[in-house]
Amino acid sequence: MLYRETGQYKTSYAADSVIFPIRQDRIGVMIVLAIAFVFMPLMMAFKIPPFRNDYILLAILLPFLILSLAAIGANILIGYCGQISLGSGAFMAIGAYMAYKFGTGISEIGLPPLPIVVSILLGGFSAAFVGILFGLPSLRIKGLYLAVATLAAQFFFDWVFLRVKWFTNYAPSGSVSAPELKFFGYLVSTPIEKYLVALIFVTIFALIAKNLVRGNIGRQWMAIRDMDIAAELMGIRPLVAKLTAFAVSSFIIGVAGALWAFLRLGTWEPLAFDINRSLELLFMVIIGGLGSILGSFLGAAFILILPILLIVVPAEIGLPITTETVSHLQFIIFGAMICFLLIKEPLGFARLWQIGKEKLRMWPFPY
Amino acid sequence: MSDTPQTLLSVENVTLKFGGVTAISGVSFDIRKGEIRAIIGPNGAGKTSMLNCINGFYHPQEGRITYKGETRERMRPHVAASQGIARTFQNVALFRGMTTLDNIMTGRTLKMKANIFWQMLRIGPALKDEIQHREYCEEIIDFLEIEHIRKVPVGRLPYGLQKRVELARALAMQPDLLLLDEPMAGMNLEEKQDMCRFILDVNKTYGTTIALIEHDMGVVMDLSDRVVVLEYGRKIADGTPDEVKSDQKVIDAYLGVPH
Ligand SMILES: Nc1ncnc2c1ncn2[C@@H]1O[C@H](COP(=O)(O)OP(=O)(O)OP(=O)(O)O)[C@@H](O)[C@H]1O
Ligand SMILES: [Mg+2]
Repeated sequence: MLYRETGQYKTSYAADSVIFPIRQDRIGVMIVLAIAFVFMPLMMAFKIPPFRNDYILLAILLPFLILSLAAIGANILIGYCGQISLGSGAFMAIGAYMAYKFGTGISEIGLPPLPIVVSILLGGFSAAFVGILFGLPSLRIKGLYLAVATLAAQFFFDWVFLRVKWFTNYAPSGSVSAPELKFFGYLVSTPIEKYLVALIFVTIFALIAKNLVRGNIGRQWMAIRDMDIAAELMGIRPLVAKLTAFAVSSFIIGVAGALWAFLRLGTWEPLAFDINRSLELLFMVIIGGLGSILGSFLGAAFILILPILLIVVPAEIGLPITTETVSHLQFIIFGAMICFLLIKEPLGFARLWQIGKEKLRMWPFPY
Repeated sequence: MSDTPQTLLSVENVTLKFGGVTAISGVSFDIRKGEIRAIIGPNGAGKTSMLNCINGFYHPQEGRITYKGETRERMRPHVAASQGIARTFQNVALFRGMTTLDNIMTGRTLKMKANIFWQMLRIGPALKDEIQHREYCEEIIDFLEIEHIRKVPVGRLPYGLQKRVELARALAMQPDLLLLDEPMAGMNLEEKQDMCRFILDVNKTYGTTIALIEHDMGVVMDLSDRVVVLEYGRKIADGTPDEVKSDQKVIDAYLGVPH
C-alpha cells in the first residue's frame, strides 16, 4: 500500500489538474530532480564511481539529456499529433547551423554575434519556421506520403548544409566549431557544467511540453490524431492544429540540435544530423511510447544504453563479440522490438510503466 | 414556448449527388427552436447524408439551408461548430486514445481563449480556462452519470458507454442544434431507456433543439415532436408522430411494398 491515491481527496478541480495528481508521483519526481541537479554533480565533482572519468558523463548522460529533448519534440508531432516524420535530423541541423550563424554574427545584415542562449533559441525558431513550411502540405497528404515528404526535407537539408557555404561561414573543410559557450557571462567548459546546462534546458522544455500536451492545444493535437473528421466537427481547425504541432515540435528539436552541436560535439559536420539521426529519434519515440513525455526519456535511455549493454555484458561473461556483431545485433533488437511494440503495445514502455503503476495502485488487493 | 414557433433551421429543395448516386433529391423540411425532430427512413434513405449537409461536411449541389435566419454558402464543418451545431455519429467517432474527460473537454475547445504562451506555462488565463471548463464538463459528467469512467481511455469502454461519452462531448459544446445519428443503435433495452431519458432531459433542461435519427419506432414516437420520413432520398411524409404512423406511404416504405 505504498502507492495509492485513496485518502488523497481532491477538494478542487485545480488540485486534480496539477501536473502529478498523485502524491507519490510528486515525491518521485522531486527525488529524480534532486538526484539529477545535486547528487550526480556532487558525485561527478568528487569523481566517485561510476564517475571516475568523464566517460559516463560525456558518452551517456549528456547525449541522453539532449536526445531526450529531441525525442520530446519528435513525439509532439508523431505521437501526439499523429503526423509521421522522418525529417527530425534535418530540424536538428537547422537548429544547430542557425544557432551557429546567430552565435557568430551575420555580417551581411550587420548582426553582431548574439549571446549564446539567444542564439540557441533563435536556432529553435528557425527550425520552427521551416517546420511550418513543411507542415503546410500535411493538410492534404497523410501517412506514408507525409513520411516521404519529410524524408525529402531530410535529404534537402543534408545537401543545403553541405553545399551552401554561407551556413558554415565559408569554412574550407565544411566543418564548424561552436562559438564560445558563455552563458550569462559564465564560461561553460567542463563536462559537469555542460551537463548542468543541458539538464536545465531539458527540465524547462519537458515542463513546457507537458503543459502543452495536457492543455487545450494538446487535446486538439490528439483529437486530430485520433479522428480528424470528428475533430473538425468540434470546431478544431485541422490546419491550425497541425501547424502548431509542426512549429512546437520543430522548435524543440531545433533547440536540441543546437545543444547537440554546441555542448556535445563542439565541432561538427552536416553528417552529424543525417537520416540515421532521424530514424534514431523515430525509434526512441516508438519504443518509449507514442504520445508520452515520460516515454521520450525512456526511449532515449533505451537506445543509448542498449549498445553499451551489448558490449559490456558479453565481455563480462567472457563471450567474444566483435563490434561489428554488436552493431548488427543492435539493429536486430531494435527491429524486433519495434515490430513487437507496434503490434502488441503501440504505446511503448511508457504504457508498460503505467500498467505497472495501475497494478501497484490496487496492490495488495486485486479489486 | 411562444405561440408562433421560431424556425431554427430550414432545408429547402436540397439535392445531393455522389457521382451517379443521388443520395438526397429535393428534400425540404424545417426544424423549430426547442423541438425534437426525428428523421426516419429505411437503410440508405439519405438520413446521415442529410445531417452531413446540415453541418457542412457535404455540400449539396442544389437547394438552400438556412440556419438562424442566414442562408449559408459552402462552409467548413468547424464553422458550423462555431455557430452552435454539434453532433454524434452513427459509428462512434470518439478520440480513442484520450480519456473520457479529455474527450469531453475537446467540446469546450472553441470556448477556450488562452493563447499558446499561457498554455506553455499553464498559469493565468490558461489555468483559468482549464478549471472553469472542467467545472462545466463535470456538470455534464454528473448529468450523464459517467463519473466513474472520467479518467478511463475511451477505447477501453464498452460500446454503450462510448455512445454516452459521445453525447457528453457534443453537449460540452453547449450547442443550439444537436444532431444525433442513431444514438441508441446496438444498445440493450436498459441502455436505450437511459439514453431516451437523457435526450429528453437535455431538451428540457438546456432547451437544446435536437434532430434525431432513429430506427426504433417506439423511441421515435415517445421522444419526438415532429417526424420527417425519407425514402430513397425523397421526403415521403412529414408531421406529428401519430400522423406519420398512419400514413400509408410510410407503412409501405417500412413494409417494403414495391413501387
Ligand atoms: N461519401 C459517399 N460516397 C458515395 N455514396 C455515398 C456517400 N455517403 C452516402 N452515400 C450513399 O448515399 C445514400 C444514402 O446514405 P446515408 O448514409 O445517408 O443513408 P442512411 O439513411 O443514413 O442509412 P442508414 O440507415 O443505413 O444509416 C446511400 O446510397 C449511400 O450509399
Ligand atoms: Mg445513416
